[in-house]
Amino acid sequence: MNQQLLTSLSEQYASTNHWAVLWPEIALALLAVLVLLVDLFTGKVKALAVPLVAIVGQIAVLFALLFKASCEFEGSGVLFSGMILPSNLSEVMRIFFVLASILVSWLGMVYLKKQYLPRMEFYCLTLLVTAAMMLLAQSANFVMLFVALETVTIGFYVLVSYGRNSAFSLEGGLKYLVLGGTSTAILLFGIVLLYGIGGNPNLPAHTTDSLNFAALEGFLAANADNFIAKIGVVLVICGICFKIGAVPFQIWIPDVYQGAPTPVTAFLAVSSKAAGFIVLINLVMGPFAPMKELTVPLLSAIAVVTILFGNLTAIGQRNVKRVIGLSGVAHAGYLLLGVVALCKGIELGAWAIIFYLFTYLFGSFAVFGVMAQVAGVDDENQDVDHYIDLARRQPFLAGVLAIGLGSLAGIPPLAGFIGKVFLFIVAFQAELYTLLGAAITGVVISIYYYFGWIREAYYKPQSWPTDKPVQPMQVCVGHKVALAALAIVTVLLGFYQGAFGSGF
Amino acid sequence: MNIGLNEYLFVSGLLFAIGFFGVLLRRNTLVIYMCMELMLNAVNLALVAFSRYNQTMDGNIFVFFIITVAAAEVAVGLAIIVALYRKRRSVEVDDLNALSH
Repeated sequence: MNQQLLTSLSEQYASTNHWAVLWPEIALALLAVLVLLVDLFTGKVKALAVPLVAIVGQIAVLFALLFKASCEFEGSGVLFSGMILPSNLSEVMRIFFVLASILVSWLGMVYLKKQYLPRMEFYCLTLLVTAAMMLLAQSANFVMLFVALETVTIGFYVLVSYGRNSAFSLEGGLKYLVLGGTSTAILLFGIVLLYGIGGNPNLPAHTTDSLNFAALEGFLAANADNFIAKIGVVLVICGICFKIGAVPFQIWIPDVYQGAPTPVTAFLAVSSKAAGFIVLINLVMGPFAPMKELTVPLLSAIAVVTILFGNLTAIGQRNVKRVIGLSGVAHAGYLLLGVVALCKGIELGAWAIIFYLFTYLFGSFAVFGVMAQVAGVDDENQDVDHYIDLARRQPFLAGVLAIGLGSLAGIPPLAGFIGKVFLFIVAFQAELYTLLGAAITGVVISIYYYFGWIREAYYKPQSWPTDKPVQPMQVCVGHKVALAALAIVTVLLGFYQGAFGSGF
Repeated sequence: MNIGLNEYLFVSGLLFAIGFFGVLLRRNTLVIYMCMELMLNAVNLALVAFSRYNQTMDGNIFVFFIITVAAAEVAVGLAIIVALYRKRRSVEVDDLNALSH
């Protein structure tokens, strides 16, 4: 009797396990295993073979995803007993994460060439973290969300401290670990409170599946005033704010960004932040939608402080990794504008956020590509001074840097400008005038430090000796092509936004 | 004396607070690390208590996931601390100030 019950139960749950839906994640995990094997069985050519396999494999996944995205997306009902819920958003984010991961692997090649470090683990971890981010974007249950998030975070602990010969990298790793672990605990405590209160049999509309997003939404709609539920929501949002680097959870950003190897800094700045935002979007559109009275003021306050703090602290920095880190805090603030608009029911907010993330990806990787080339062996020591007179030493790199930074600053014809315009439009539709004021102030401040950096590249200071010979830098053709592609896409997205543009 | 949900939640909240302030106030990396584990265990206790009170199994299952993830985190974390100790000959937070502006 018990045996029968068990079989029928397991059949009932297994019937929703459609593994084919998760093919990109499985492909990336298999690719990670393949990278391990390639490293094991290739002898002297391994330095070339490992990145080649990783990058070509990811490009294949990217093209398969792009091909599938051109087909119509059909909802597939309950998957994995409600653990996974793919949507149009998560399909686009899969493309985003693979694209970012290809670029990180490419930067990793540039970085690892200058270091005496093992190579294969870098690509392997990048692939696994990317697969976990894809799962994170589709999770519809707090257990799934937690496991995917921790796979990402633990992968990042290792990646941040990857430069194990450098005390800076290890220190960055330790700081990320302590603060990341604390934020995980805060997030978990929030989840536990929501689970406990959502399943409380004494409350109206209680549910037996309170870890599930849809079930929790039903409960919160009936108990929006419950005090414990409110604390749970605030704690969960705090945990996510740590990942996106919003004030007051931004303290780890400058140190970790500086200590981490440049490709990992890029990975943190782009993919990790994007993963945090997709989770936040899923939460405020799903389970936390009935808690509008709480989430709108909370996220608005965080957004204003984040924008101003990020921009004001970035001004005084000389290390370019810290500049990028703190300006990234400000970008998280702009993106929060979209999230607040989304809370207020402007559905377009989600697409404005995703478009902004794409422009941020292209602009940032153009800048990081130049940084990886200019950086010496001391990866953590990258000062603005190192860029002095870059335009004469290597005019191509200086050009890409100017386009990348211009896009991040939001200078009109470039992609970053359009991204900001879209975000501001949705914020205007949601009547967030205070937030808009803060954001525009922030953009004006940001122009100061972004252009300070560009100025270093194009002008020599007065004290610079005039007879100093120009030392040209060598950049290989493959990297030039990749950098040029990033710069061209950044310019083109400013003029033509495709399907994104027609929505606005 | 009957021990109910509130007593468990009180202990859990207390453990969480001890862990949280430990992370903020202690200066030794290993002690900070233990405080982080204390916070995760506070969460586990609350999960089991809620799971029993709500008569659903999800919370009990979640505990296993948390324990597994915490083990992975400890493995990575101790490796980083050992590597850092080899470089700097110290695990005190006050000595870890190479990264500052």
